[in-house]
Amino acid sequence: MIALAGGRPRAGRALRMPGDALARAGLALVVVSVGMAVLAPLLAPFGPDAIDYRAMLQGPSPAHLLGTDDLGRDVFTRLLYGGRLSLGVGVASVVLAVVAGVPIGLLSGYLGGIADEILMRVIDSVMAMPPLVLALTITAVLGPGLANAMLAIAIVAVPAFTRLVRGQVLSVKHEDYVMAAQSVGARPSRLVLRHILPNAINPVIVQAALGVGFAMITESSVSFIGLGAQPPTATWGSMVQVGFQYLETAPWLALAPAVMIFLAVLGFTMLGEGLRGLLDPAVRARG
Amino acid sequence: MTGFVLRRVAGTVPVLIMTSVLVFLLMRMLPGDPITLILGESQADLGAAQIAAMRHQYGLDQPIYLQYLAWAGRTLAGDFGRSALSHQPVWDVLAPRILPTLQIGLIAWLLAVLCAIPLGAVSARAPGSWQDWLGTVVTMTGAAMPYFLIGGVLIFLLALRWGWLPASGYVPLTEAPWQSLRSTVLPAITLSLSLAAVLARQARSSFADVLQRAHVRTARAKGLTERQVMLRHVMRNGMLPIVTILGVQLGTLFSGAVVIETVFAIPGIGRLLVDAILGRDYPVVQAVVLLISVAVVFANLAVDVVYGLLDPRTRQG
Repeated sequence: MIALAGGRPRAGRALRMPGDALARAGLALVVVSVGMAVLAPLLAPFGPDAIDYRAMLQGPSPAHLLGTDDLGRDVFTRLLYGGRLSLGVGVASVVLAVVAGVPIGLLSGYLGGIADEILMRVIDSVMAMPPLVLALTITAVLGPGLANAMLAIAIVAVPAFTRLVRGQVLSVKHEDYVMAAQSVGARPSRLVLRHILPNAINPVIVQAALGVGFAMITESSVSFIGLGAQPPTATWGSMVQVGFQYLETAPWLALAPAVMIFLAVLGFTMLGEGLRGLLDPAVRARG
Repeated sequence: MTGFVLRRVAGTVPVLIMTSVLVFLLMRMLPGDPITLILGESQADLGAAQIAAMRHQYGLDQPIYLQYLAWAGRTLAGDFGRSALSHQPVWDVLAPRILPTLQIGLIAWLLAVLCAIPLGAVSARAPGSWQDWLGTVVTMTGAAMPYFLIGGVLIFLLALRWGWLPASGYVPLTEAPWQSLRSTVLPAITLSLSLAAVLARQARSSFADVLQRAHVRTARAKGLTERQVMLRHVMRNGMLPIVTILGVQLGTLFSGAVVIETVFAIPGIGRLLVDAILGRDYPVVQAVVLLISVAVVFANLAVDVVYGLLDPRTRQG
């Protein structure tokens, strides 16, 4: 994504902007957390489900860097493995939301008329429901579980992409170059894909980065409440849920996974905001 | 002016209808017989004939759009049905839950405004300064911080370790106002952080925008101190978009309430929703989701109308 920004003609100037520092710091956090998740089997000193009843609820020590949980499992190890699911669900639900939301936005904006009007009212009413409330309710309807939570979060995230893309389509639909392409006989599919869609890619990238952060926060909340990952499967959110019962005696159990969620979400948020500064000429001009 | 208000009110009607349709359909997509929705788990004891009779009694043998109309009619008349768990009318279950959520939301809202507006003003005054960077860091941190992290740290330090404030539970305002305030401070601080982050960000860009305008230059030219310029000319003009955000963020307050009321064991709307979902008390789930959505729609309407009152230019569209 940095290469994308570097390829622009004004990259030399853009690189000194705060957006760049933000994007870099965000990218670093993202790379570290994704790296830890991917390399979990190599980095983890224990098995993720290795129970040790002789070492329950131990504090941080050289053997167990972040202590052990209520079943004597190594918290550091479980953080690494839990991160795989937390990050995986975050990224997967955003991919789903993009795959569904972008085409709907393109069609709605391009076709206009009554279809657009109806679709926008539906989107308005979906957006009237607070994201977590809607995600919880959909998860409840689909049945508790991590896959259903992922699907619910994807559904909740769709309107943001649809609106974004629709807005972009409307803003360029009547530009001269689109009219020109139309007048020389370009088919609608070519118009939309070659001339209109490219304008929407940068904002979608920004929204996707921010969206992963949103999806991870939402998944962790759904799992914290008990509707997401079901034991023995653990995401960072469900680890916090278990840890909260031991907040007084073993605070690291709840706080360690909560801090991991915070750092990963911070990474994606900074990356998104930084990229917004780099990719959006209007923001860049304002500094 | 009246025309503008009427237009805006009329504009929310389709959204309200669509929202109610979505809430209705969402509950109808539940696996199993919709009679579960009304009876809860106790339906297992009933025979097939009884269930068929009940289906008829509740109109479940009619087409879905008639069912929706009947449900919408009952809801408009204030009849939300009965809780599948306690068998009390849903409204009786719901009503006492509103005050705690409202109380925490209001305190959080106040805290967020008090922190975010000055922070945004300082950031806007000197872009690129260390204060601006601090503002950015606070904004990013607040936006990325899960409620259970800040809540967990506050409970661990202020309640469990130092014993300054209660760790959980809620004391009703009418019973003991001071204790009630103490029981809502930590949840409110937890809730205010993400709100403050959004507000500070909006305040910064809004104030920075006003600072560029000619009347600010005039104000400086006639010798006003920077303090007077900021307070009288920049902040007053820049508050409008911030007010908008406050209305839009009502949804965030409800999302936050779900997690925070779980963390702090507060008997509010959020915790009611969680308990109802976990207990499969779908009439209550339906009522809570509807209530929250309608509140958000009306908050947006109120913001639009206030905006129109304050800024005549927006009345045109």
